[in-house]
Amino acid sequence: MRLIARFALDNTEHFEIIDVFDKEIRRQKVDKQNPIVKSIMPKYPSAIWMERKIRDEFGIEFEGAFDKRPLVKHERFPKNIFPLRKDFDKKDVEFDEYKPYKYEEIEGDNVFVVPVGPIHAGIIEPGHFQFSQAGEEILHLEVRHYYKYRGIEKMVEGKKPLEIKKIVERISGNESIAYQIAFMDILAQASETEIPNSLKQKYYTLLELERIIHHLTDLGFIPNDAGFAPALAFMSKLSEDARRVMAKITGHRFGFGAIKEELSVDYETLVDFVNYLKKEVEFFEDWTDDIASLWDRFNTTGALSREKAIKYGVVGVGARASGIKIDVRDNVFYKNFGYKMQFGVKGEVGDRFKVRIKEVLNSIEMIKNFKTDKKEKYILNSFKDGEYMSFVESSIGELFMYMKIKNGAVERFYARDPSHINWQAFHTTIYKDIIADFPLINKSFDLSYAGNDL
Amino acid sequence: MLRFWEKRIKTGILTENPEFDKELEQIKKQIKDKIKKHFAGSLAIRMVDSGSCNACEAECNALSNPYYDLERLGIHFVASPRHADVMLLSGVMTMNMYHHAIDCYNQMPSPKWVIAVGDCVKDLGVFEKTYAIKGNDLKIDYFIPGCPPSPKDIIKGILEFLKNFE
Repeated sequence: MRLIARFALDNTEHFEIIDVFDKEIRRQKVDKQNPIVKSIMPKYPSAIWMERKIRDEFGIEFEGAFDKRPLVKHERFPKNIFPLRKDFDKKDVEFDEYKPYKYEEIEGDNVFVVPVGPIHAGIIEPGHFQFSQAGEEILHLEVRHYYKYRGIEKMVEGKKPLEIKKIVERISGNESIAYQIAFMDILAQASETEIPNSLKQKYYTLLELERIIHHLTDLGFIPNDAGFAPALAFMSKLSEDARRVMAKITGHRFGFGAIKEELSVDYETLVDFVNYLKKEVEFFEDWTDDIASLWDRFNTTGALSREKAIKYGVVGVGARASGIKIDVRDNVFYKNFGYKMQFGVKGEVGDRFKVRIKEVLNSIEMIKNFKTDKKEKYILNSFKDGEYMSFVESSIGELFMYMKIKNGAVERFYARDPSHINWQAFHTTIYKDIIADFPLINKSFDLSYAGNDL
Repeated sequence: MLRFWEKRIKTGILTENPEFDKELEQIKKQIKDKIKKHFAGSLAIRMVDSGSCNACEAECNALSNPYYDLERLGIHFVASPRHADVMLLSGVMTMNMYHHAIDCYNQMPSPKWVIAVGDCVKDLGVFEKTYAIKGNDLKIDYFIPGCPPSPKDIIKGILEFLKNFE
């Protein structure tokens, strides 16, 4: 079974841990006086961060866990507060005294540590990478995040569902459409209505456009990090073109606020654009295929084996490039509009690069098929109390969202960005590569920091 | 490869915004001495994200694409705060980023300035205060509004900052 998420909620009388797997959902009650549960870390390594996060936020201990360091509470974050408990309602907390964080390090003769971040050399989000090196070779990498931890799960609690839309769409800017669709899906479930087919087509059109923008950006950055700058110039031009099309259609360059009960898409502009884009991307594929020095850097670099990817429950491009056929879009609805699973075999940077090119071409095809001028009426009813879950394939991978509504207000909100899973497998791909390959590998996964940190 | 060079010649230069160029020429004349004195002829920016949704970073990255090509204006992003004249600050300033951002600011040589990019820096934008957000304490010298501000807005903002620079 694949672990999708493990998270907790405070039900006043007791805590509850919910484990979402691809085949079942398990729930267990946790005594508030003695909050201890069994860890699933040893079997599911992607639960490591999930459990450490629960421990920080709820004060629940995990029996048998091999990593009990704080995750979201950094060096000066007060350790004695459990902010996601219902009885915690403070908006301000004071800094605590500095408690050093113990990094995973490899000891040995001539092994040295290279700390990178949280603020990086380029324009990137903050996160920390701690490399243990022997000469040129990387022996181990610890990825440390949550510098951008904003407490969004608590921020939205107690609000009316529609009031939190603006916050949800800004959890991760470059996956905004995906977050909005997941949220809309939850609202539709809660109001016991069905989003009409034609509207869905429009939503998915924007989702594919968002994926195109994201992939194009990466397709420029990956070769650039291998020292091939012309690719960045070429692709950043195309991704800017695509972003302008997004702005033309939705009124916003990132599509903030685009997913609504009503949506008109200017397909004429869009289809013209994707036809042009198709030629350019095919040219790019041809062109980069010929550049041997590029493939010298791409091949065998940052390999994520199929076994590892399965063990860590990796999703998105990272999984598909390692031969795991997993995609939320892999269903009848999408297939009718021309969806085809794109995948690689070896899980190297080169495979992820190729998968991205093929996915852009597939998204172009789908956008043309989604084209509709049908207008169906859709109105959200009032929202019924209950628990709702949604899955959307964002540009990074499978996005999972959970919302519990009680007395018409948000009781608990939880979102598991695909990055949250993939970051934890990411460090395994770096073994024995050199540090100069790190940006390349990092970009080939292109994971979100904001979505992960929440 | 030959096909690429052929395409490149046919494409020519894509850089847009001649209105900025004209404006810049004027600004350059106006503040030539100031720029020379304070920035050694060009402006070096260190971008710091203190807890954004990553849209502001995407827009700042876009400044380097062929349409905007920020460097032609003598404005460039640098890798180290020690090389920077200006900090471009985005995000809500989380508890976990607070000391790192301040540290980065302290590493910048004086004189130095902070330009805020995006609504989050000023009043958290659509976000609200939580236990995990500290809020910004750095003195903001210039504010570029927007959620996120477009690359054009950012360029305009930086030029406006230079124009009113004292």
